[in-house]
Amino acid sequence: MRVGLFVTCLVDLVRPRIGLCTLDLLEGAGCDVVVPTTQTCCGQPGYNSGDRKAAQVLAKKVLREFADCEYVVVPSGSCGGMIKAHYPELLSEFPDLKPDVDRLVARTWELADFLVNVLKLEQVPGRFDGSVTYHDSCSGLRELHVKSQPRKLLSKVPGLTLKEMATPEQCCGFGGTFAVKFGDISSRIADQKCADIGGTGADAVVLGDLGCMLNIEGRLRRRGDSKTKVLHFVEVLAGTRASDG
Amino acid sequence: MQVQSEKFKAGAAKSLNNPHLLKAMGNLRNRMVTGRAKSILELDNFEEIREAARATRDLALANLDYLLEEFERNATARGTNVHWAETGKDVNQLVLDIARSNNVRKIIKSKSMLGEETGLNHFLEASGIEVRETDLGEYIIQEAGETPSHIIAPAIHRTKDEVSDLFHEKHKLPRKTDIAEMTREARMVLRPHFLSADMGISGANFLVAESGTTMIVTNEGNGRMTTTLPRVHVAIVGIEKVLPTLEDVAFILRLLTRSATGQSISNYLTFTTGPKQPGDKDGPDEFHVIIVDAGRTKVLDSNLREALRCIRCGACMNHCPVYQNIGGHPYGWVYPGPIGSVLTPAFVGIENAIDLPNAATFCNQCGVVCPVKIPLPDLMRKLREKQVERGLRPRSERLGLKVWAWFAARPTLYSALTRIAARLGHWAGGRTGLIHSLLGGAGWTRDRDLPAPQGKTFRDLYAARARRRI
Amino acid sequence: MSARDNILGKIRGALGRSRPMTETEAAALRAKLRDHPRGPQPAMNWEPVSRFRERCLSLSSTVDEVATLDQVPAAVGRYLAGSGLERTGVCWPEYAGLNWAGAGLSIEARPAGGDDKIGITGTYCAIAETGTLMLLSGPDTHPVTSLLPETHIAIAPTTRILVSIEDGMDLLRRERSELPRQVAFVSGPSRTADIEMTLVLGIHGPYRVHIVLVTG
Repeated sequence: MRVGLFVTCLVDLVRPRIGLCTLDLLEGAGCDVVVPTTQTCCGQPGYNSGDRKAAQVLAKKVLREFADCEYVVVPSGSCGGMIKAHYPELLSEFPDLKPDVDRLVARTWELADFLVNVLKLEQVPGRFDGSVTYHDSCSGLRELHVKSQPRKLLSKVPGLTLKEMATPEQCCGFGGTFAVKFGDISSRIADQKCADIGGTGADAVVLGDLGCMLNIEGRLRRRGDSKTKVLHFVEVLAGTRASDG
Repeated sequence: MQVQSEKFKAGAAKSLNNPHLLKAMGNLRNRMVTGRAKSILELDNFEEIREAARATRDLALANLDYLLEEFERNATARGTNVHWAETGKDVNQLVLDIARSNNVRKIIKSKSMLGEETGLNHFLEASGIEVRETDLGEYIIQEAGETPSHIIAPAIHRTKDEVSDLFHEKHKLPRKTDIAEMTREARMVLRPHFLSADMGISGANFLVAESGTTMIVTNEGNGRMTTTLPRVHVAIVGIEKVLPTLEDVAFILRLLTRSATGQSISNYLTFTTGPKQPGDKDGPDEFHVIIVDAGRTKVLDSNLREALRCIRCGACMNHCPVYQNIGGHPYGWVYPGPIGSVLTPAFVGIENAIDLPNAATFCNQCGVVCPVKIPLPDLMRKLREKQVERGLRPRSERLGLKVWAWFAARPTLYSALTRIAARLGHWAGGRTGLIHSLLGGAGWTRDRDLPAPQGKTFRDLYAARARRRI
Repeated sequence: MSARDNILGKIRGALGRSRPMTETEAAALRAKLRDHPRGPQPAMNWEPVSRFRERCLSLSSTVDEVATLDQVPAAVGRYLAGSGLERTGVCWPEYAGLNWAGAGLSIEARPAGGDDKIGITGTYCAIAETGTLMLLSGPDTHPVTSLLPETHIAIAPTTRILVSIEDGMDLLRRERSELPRQVAFVSGPSRTADIEMTLVLGIHGPYRVHIVLVTG
């Protein structure tokens, strides 16, 4: 199974460990993973800021780079959502690209969705002795219907207890550039998410989107919480023995 | 209403520092959000109804001219005076003309957001006519000289104590502290106005084309009184509110009341067709319906058309994390929350409401709960695109995006840049791995740390790994 | 050009039309207007009368039951006495002939005024799905009587308890050639939650809605 890994710009820059865990997990499950080296960004920052042209350039680039993978796997609900939910509209001005866009959309999978519904993973190498709570990132949830898949995967991790927070589906307040442009509102929303996380008493908050991750961790630490771990689910699944390169 | 949307950021900051507002928004969530979730469980085919509601609203919009003419024909045949108003000013003038030709001195009003758009009350009062809001929330803000902060619960931002003080001051009666007693006092104070008013003004939730009927959805009884007691009744309605048949209203109502307040049905659904009929002992002698454009045809002719499906339930704002924290006033006009972020720039001009479509995380809680499936984040994105096209974005932002896009399209340069940024960022994070302040990033770092990069890019680590494996 | 022409012209322009729709173009729409099909309804598999009662109670209406119309005054008398309410009020003319005096009540057959405390009406029909009364305006079915008094008492035959509002509309279409001035669907005492989202019963409309079902 030839799987293209769309690693995402934030993972690449800030948390490459997530990319390496993803690689390990996929290869461990028997996938032949390719990582197109020219990949940079899915175009979402431009798209959501209203700069269609810039976003279109990057989207066409992604189309080319991942043209010959059987599957394209993305460890991010928002980038996965950008491709699957928005590329068709974004590239609608280029009708000759439609077949390629449709093909890409059909082959693109958010990581948890891929692990559960394509690889049908039953065992994971990781172990987590403690409790976690899961935050449903908005794009993953509402654009890609990722809800049960991460929970199903976490249930396979020995030692792990899942404690749901009161409103796991409530936005964390990141919203891309919103987090900087309307920082006071964004922080307040993040604060409420952190209170919800704290209310579970869990050792870690686990999620599937790097924007949420940086936002939640950033607010937790500033609140004085240096204990609650903030982890991408693939880090929990792959375990600590996974690679720092 | 005067547009104050340019003060959005300052308004939001003020809201965030207002503990009363935080509590009020908590009350709103407990009632409206929880209420809605419970009540839609009563509908085993909720999504089917929702899709039919979307389709019916789209059908109405696609045939708007035909249906409005049908409405007019049927309403006129039943003795209704149908008027058309192109602008808010025209609405105000028409209402004044009707009032003057009927020697109207006192008007009672049941809620009309369209009336808020046009500034109807102030206009009529300036012309020497007494106007009394009768919906309790609207009455409170009228007495307080304020604007509504929510389309269903306009006084949600006010605490009980503030209302106690207000009533004590205005009614000149002993100060009440019990909410039921305050409500009773409002009833007592407003009842004489109902009975002595010359004219009633209402909005309309829907116009029914097949029968020339207007209908309103209320809980207090003021809607029924406004449309029954005075000798003249005027309903002002946006063009987009028309539905083909009574059955269309009936099935969509199941979604409207649940989406708005979590009620299976609102207290009073009032369908009005024509004025007093021969033999009737009550009802107005004259019934006027003013069909209003006020920017709606422009929206119909734009890529924001889907916003005209709106049935004014308020679910979007109830579920919006931004609205939940700042309330309605920062939005600066009649409609707050997600629908306000689309309608305000659409109606008052994009340049007068720049922040509104940007003050959204695009979480799409709004789109998921909208009973007529308005794709609110998509419409806000279209407004952001318009802003970019018209050069309305700040220079720094345009530059930042251009730089980002330029590098992202050039992988070799991008990988060099990110290699440096990863290393620098890691260093800036120090031992804690957290960056506490960032040039140009105060919006983030004022209240949050920024987790530092791990030091190397995935690209470089992957390349190194690949080399080791050879 | 009138405002009407301008607005309709702009609507047509937005919809890509340079002129009004022809009858052929409007055929499907005309059929819909003529046939007025129902939209999707939820499953409603309950028994209507017990559903109606249960919904009324959930709305804070009260419900009583008598076998025949002439038993209504005594039932109303019991209700008013039991709730410590006034014994004078008004009713729709069709109930003028009932023995109110025998039940110790003084009821006039006229539309309610601002000071009347008790208003007794019939109903056109009742809606089980939501515990709703459907009331039509008319020369002898005054809307004010169900609106102005603090207590609204509604006499409702169980034979006219229908499942849904759509059923009520069907009935109206069958029995009447045109809509009356006002069709009101009333579901319980008036209410508001405008102050701190605290629900209060009784604002401008009645504080109480008492329904007397007549089974015979």
